[in-house]
Amino acid sequence: MDRRTFLKIIGSGIASAATGNLLTPGRTLAKEGPSAKELYGILVDTTRCIGCRRCEKACAEVNGLPIPDISEKANESVLKTMRKTSPTQYTITNLYKTEKGSFYVPRRCMHCNQPGCVAACLVKAMRKRPLGHVTWDLNCIGCRLCMISCPFDIPKFEYNKAIPRIQKCNLCFGRYNKGLVPGCVEVCPTEALMYGTRRNILEEGKRRIAQNPDKYIEHIYGEYEVGGTSHLYLSSVPFEQIGFRKDLGTVAYPEYSTGFLYAVPFIFVLWPIAMLGINRATKKSKEDEGHHEEKGKH
Amino acid sequence: MNKKLIYLILGVVYLVIIIYGLNAVYNVEATLRPKEAPAVKPENKIAIAHTEIFGKLERPQVIFYHNKHSEALKQEGCKTCHPADEFDRLGFDFPKKVVKKDEKTVMNAYHDQCIDCHKKKSSENKKAGPVVCADCHKEKDKSIVVQYPIFEFNFEYHDKHVKKLKEKIGKDDCSLCHHTYDIEEEDEALALVYEKGTEESCYYCHELGKKRGPELTAITRVAAKKGLSIRKASHQQCLNCHLKYQEEYLKKGKKEACPTECSKCHTGKYKTVAELEKVPRPARDQKEKPFINIKDAKLKGVTFDHKYHETASKTCRSCHHETLKSCKECHDLTGKPEGNGINVARAYHDVFSEHSCEGCHNKKKSEKDCFGCHRNIPIMDIESVGSKKEACAICHSGEIKGPLSRPPLSVAKLDPEKVKKEVTVKVLEKEFEPSKFPHLKIIEKLVKISNDSKLANYFHKDIQTLCEGCHHRSPAAAEAKKDTPPNCRNCHSIAYDPEKLNKTRLLSAYHRQCLGCHEKMSLEKGRKCADCHKVKKGGPTEITHIKNENVVKQNKSRILQVWRPD
Repeated sequence: MDRRTFLKIIGSGIASAATGNLLTPGRTLAKEGPSAKELYGILVDTTRCIGCRRCEKACAEVNGLPIPDISEKANESVLKTMRKTSPTQYTITNLYKTEKGSFYVPRRCMHCNQPGCVAACLVKAMRKRPLGHVTWDLNCIGCRLCMISCPFDIPKFEYNKAIPRIQKCNLCFGRYNKGLVPGCVEVCPTEALMYGTRRNILEEGKRRIAQNPDKYIEHIYGEYEVGGTSHLYLSSVPFEQIGFRKDLGTVAYPEYSTGFLYAVPFIFVLWPIAMLGINRATKKSKEDEGHHEEKGKH
Repeated sequence: MNKKLIYLILGVVYLVIIIYGLNAVYNVEATLRPKEAPAVKPENKIAIAHTEIFGKLERPQVIFYHNKHSEALKQEGCKTCHPADEFDRLGFDFPKKVVKKDEKTVMNAYHDQCIDCHKKKSSENKKAGPVVCADCHKEKDKSIVVQYPIFEFNFEYHDKHVKKLKEKIGKDDCSLCHHTYDIEEEDEALALVYEKGTEESCYYCHELGKKRGPELTAITRVAAKKGLSIRKASHQQCLNCHLKYQEEYLKKGKKEACPTECSKCHTGKYKTVAELEKVPRPARDQKEKPFINIKDAKLKGVTFDHKYHETASKTCRSCHHETLKSCKECHDLTGKPEGNGINVARAYHDVFSEHSCEGCHNKKKSEKDCFGCHRNIPIMDIESVGSKKEACAICHSGEIKGPLSRPPLSVAKLDPEKVKKEVTVKVLEKEFEPSKFPHLKIIEKLVKISNDSKLANYFHKDIQTLCEGCHHRSPAAAEAKKDTPPNCRNCHSIAYDPEKLNKTRLLSAYHRQCLGCHEKMSLEKGRKCADCHKVKKGGPTEITHIKNENVVKQNKSRILQVWRPD
């Protein structure tokens, strides 16, 4: 091979790698906040929640959703049914009656450290922001794979719109940029919601458990579930009794497929090249034969 | 036959087998789990099962109707079935003549005793019991549970017995029931003695399951060897005496005074501590107000109102858990084996024990009337760093005839300028009206609760102690000297402070302090928003102001919306 051919090969290799990088959405890279120093989250203390639903009202105001009626009468009837998040409600509170008493549990997006929805999104519309917020963007194609992948069944699709969107809590990303806490945290009258860095709120959760062993069970939901979430829950009764899934495991959802996916470049690119190389290397070259013949002739 | 036919036949047979198999699998009758038999009313029945000898029973247990037998054998007397000892006292070990307790012997003994008697009666043409297997071992009685509620020999019964006995024989004679076991006596027959001044509860020696100290373990071992559990011992002791006197009473024509039927004692009805308050406690020359002083101890002695504390529990054993002696005889300064290694300080002050002073006091603090304030006040034990010397001095006065109660608290001396009658909280006013609450009324209610409870009255030395229930971080004495009121906002900021996460903000400080107290004290009022502050008419409808602009834009646009969700 001469120099020109060599440079052509190298050059085209670099060019193809560059274009490939530009074109692929990079959806496999759902790491724990690419350059994050701290993740932000909320500690939810279900023993403090009084079911006033001001968090729902504040969330609706802050995000331009229809404002719910949270008068005493409305609360009484609304809290009789178990609700889920909906396209117009990013956070909902449910009432659970247990042996230890009634508990109100606010549920919303858990903002997992390694979200299944971010890994599932084909177009990177679901993104994990550097500081922990899992947000949805307008380049969504409406495939709803994020809904399937969420272990907590949070993202909701606007079936009633012609240009449908996925709706879910975004941890008030817009307010964060203005230096404010999320709307729900600001208005909670009993500080059942506590906002802060995940490290700090985890410490606070552990402190509360250690100082009040009779009041809390010794588990923070979200500390390790599905690889850890940024919404941590404290409870007085076992979590199954207040509507939490206990079968989730501690493996983050994207990690189930990273092994396979990272193997793709190897299998489709490097492996054929390696095989080709070995093939060529072990093949008898014609030049050698001719050379031998020539030698032999002399 | 040709091949095709064979294949066809095989195929059909195979198909039939599959269908039949599936049918069988899907239609398996679920074996019903035997339902837990509801407990029947005992009604003087006894279940004879002896599972400790037989293990799993071949035939169903026998339900023995004691009433029927006692009626039928009135003439012959109890000794027909019951074994009697050398003192002519009835025993309750069945069957009557069995020494070796193995399956065959016991079974034969029962059969001999019961069926022979039935056969005899039947041959005399009298009403007799069954002789056929299945008539006693009834299938329907298989899973019946005969359970009698535990009988509590409370102070009222004890008092009745003491009084009745004095009536009869003119003096107090505790030896009829009380005895102790002299473990050092070699001759077992002479070991059971009565020593005046050592009368105790039967449970100390006869409660076999409990772990005891070295002295008592030797005695309980003997009791266990003789099979004298509290159940057996009390039946033997009580019933024999009752049977003796019952004859007498019946002869005199009086109605049955001493209960001899199971359900007459095992009523399932129990008296509460309050109901037993006025009943005189057993007199054993105990000091009414002893002075507890430990030699070489760091703190001064404590005057202890033993007489009052006797009325605070249903049994002496709640404090005197091992023996009726005083605590310091087993618990000394360094810890003895008699005291299970627990030294005297821990014995009196262990905060979670059921037997110590502080343990019981601590439990009382979680009652409805006290828990409103005491849920936030940390438990003070002798190891906690924040122990105030003044708190120790409340009990450790060092005076032999120290005060056992304090003068009742009163709001009369409070300065109305400093202690406001009504307090208005309007610093957080937004969509609700300012909240007005009856400050003085709350103080008066707390004062009343404190004065009504002897425990509270003793520990709440002055009215400022009560202030610290709500004004919790500043000492009341210091606050009283200031000119400005102790505002919650002096410590609790209104805005969110990301540096100090566990510092409660003002909004939640108010709500958790007030709502928490109302909830723990089970108050009716003050649980809903409107109870404390009504919605302001014409006030703002929005509770937050700064929005997530991008999301609002997305959500507000209704381009090509097909229908609105409900």
